[in-house]
Amino acid sequence: MIEFEHLTKEYNGIKAVDDLCLTIPDGEVFGLLGPNGAGKSTTILMLIGLIEPTEGRCLIDGVEVAKNPIEVKHRIGYMPEDVGFYATLTAEQNLDFFARLYGMKKAERKEKIESLLELVGLSGVEKKVGGYSKGMRQRLGIAKALINDPAVMILDEPTANLDPQGVADYRRIIQEMAKQGKTVLVSSHILSEVSRVCTSVGILSQGRIVANGKWEDLARIPEGSTSGEIRINVRTKEAMPEFSNSEIISVDYTDDRKGASVLSHSDIRDDISDVLQKTGTGIRELSLDRDSLEDFILSYYQEQ
Amino acid sequence: MKSGAWKVIASKEIFDHIRSRKFMLIFGIFLIISMVGLVGGLIDYQKQLDSYNEQLSVAGEDEMGYMPYWKPSLLSIFFQISPMIISLGGVLGIAMGFDLITKEKESKSLKILLSHPIYRDEVINGKALGAIGALLIALGTVSIISLAIMLIFGIVPDADQFSRMLIFGAAAFLMIFSYFAIALFMSTISSDSGNALIYSLIILIFLSSLLPVFAYGPVMNLVAGDAPEPPESLMRGGGGGWSHTFTTSSSVSVSSDGGPVEEYVDPDQEEWDKYNKKSKAYWEKRQAISDAIGLLSPSSNFQAISREVIWSASGRPMPMDKDGFEEDNSLASTLSDLLKNIIALLVTPAIFFGAAYVRFMRLDIR
Repeated sequence: MIEFEHLTKEYNGIKAVDDLCLTIPDGEVFGLLGPNGAGKSTTILMLIGLIEPTEGRCLIDGVEVAKNPIEVKHRIGYMPEDVGFYATLTAEQNLDFFARLYGMKKAERKEKIESLLELVGLSGVEKKVGGYSKGMRQRLGIAKALINDPAVMILDEPTANLDPQGVADYRRIIQEMAKQGKTVLVSSHILSEVSRVCTSVGILSQGRIVANGKWEDLARIPEGSTSGEIRINVRTKEAMPEFSNSEIISVDYTDDRKGASVLSHSDIRDDISDVLQKTGTGIRELSLDRDSLEDFILSYYQEQ
Repeated sequence: MKSGAWKVIASKEIFDHIRSRKFMLIFGIFLIISMVGLVGGLIDYQKQLDSYNEQLSVAGEDEMGYMPYWKPSLLSIFFQISPMIISLGGVLGIAMGFDLITKEKESKSLKILLSHPIYRDEVINGKALGAIGALLIALGTVSIISLAIMLIFGIVPDADQFSRMLIFGAAAFLMIFSYFAIALFMSTISSDSGNALIYSLIILIFLSSLLPVFAYGPVMNLVAGDAPEPPESLMRGGGGGWSHTFTTSSSVSVSSDGGPVEEYVDPDQEEWDKYNKKSKAYWEKRQAISDAIGLLSPSSNFQAISREVIWSASGRPMPMDKDGFEEDNSLASTLSDLLKNIIALLVTPAIFFGAAYVRFMRLDIR
């Protein structure tokens, strides 16, 4: 579990992170969203004990980071955005060095490194890390973050340089970790990626959390707000019935009524699903439109 | 030094240094030049020894014959190596330290390293210990090969010579480590490796080449002032030369141009004594300033230590002390005379390493 309690960081009187209060329960894959300069990296650096908060505190599994950094670092796996390794060493040698910092025994290190390199698709790559592409380094970064079998994984822009296969592998690894009950914090400004892997999100703007919760909660327009619309794509096996809901702004059906684009004030996918099930209509697709979702999240930034 | 990670970092650093091309290149040149100097010194030593033995046998046959003044010492072979260690050792120390922190910053590995369960001081301590280890391996290799070459030449050092060789090696180590500590400090305060290298080289050049100019050149004249002029009443003579004679227990004649000397026979003893006192005080002050400035330079300290350690065992006549006796040339006495240089060689790396440590502990990791 990750907890932020009134976390604040000031640089020359300017608050990079401002009174951040947030709890991420065990087994949650949490996305920290925000534009550049929102305070995501500063928050993460405080969480891993590299910088000290000006005020407040952060805790991992109940252990305060600033007071027990070593204990906390044993529990976490971290991959920074600009992941760096020792260029003159191979992937195996790099991982072996980092594994030794956790006090792992030789046999344990060897076994773990082999399985991790296999997991991230770098098994058998003998060249030194200096010759790696950015994507390969990012894969190695994921392996490094897993070397100590962490209870909490913190990933900063994890898919920025990955190719499609790398992204697919990354999603698989994150889902596997979530199944094991581990907590994952993903910091990113790529909304589409966060929306695919994260079960809940927090939106950070100018150092403050402006919204957080499950996707469906966030995708609901606040009462009184006139901005923001969500488009929901629906595809069915049979012709679908007419939708009727007070949240609906408009619906465009295809000619065969097996497809529809629903413009709504909020995420009403559950309601649509209920209607389709009641009428015995098979669902092929029921998803939020990505562009529409991005516009919706952007509206949170713009409201600040 | 709490989590034991310093050992992991130190062993990686030793491994990195030994595999590094720049280290191997400089160490290779250092080794070759040392060996060439050593072999040259050994050949000279053999010649001097043969000449000494020849002169001894002649002196043995004829008691009135020429007696050689001093027996050549084995340690004289280090005369040729010492200047090479000063020039290349400094470069080796800087090559080992200038990018230790900047490289971690540039490759973004520092952030990832510090996200592991280690304390910051373990990183810099591990790096320093790694450099000490690599340096000991390098100097140990040079020493073992040197000893092997000496044995090939059939020369076996006695205990005193061996001790002096160890002190010579330790001083060389401290000098190189001083420059390493300077480069490490520059690496912590510089934004990139290029700047760190330039700053380190500027300091190396200043300490090894420019400081002696300050210590002995015109700058010293500005600091200490001009030497006192001899009283005009005591000076007389043609061709711009001057001379004087003591009417005391000893008599000294001095000529600046070697021309004909006119002797001053009627000295104003009081005036002369006054001048003599002033002159002595002036030169003592000048020497004290020069020594103090020299202490700032690891190269000068190593030079002073190597010169004294080798010279005092070389069999050459020792300088006279105040009472007119040859100064004690025992190892203990030599070390006592060199105490300030030894302390300076210990303090210099300690200061720069301390500064690097403080700077690194406060480094902004973002």
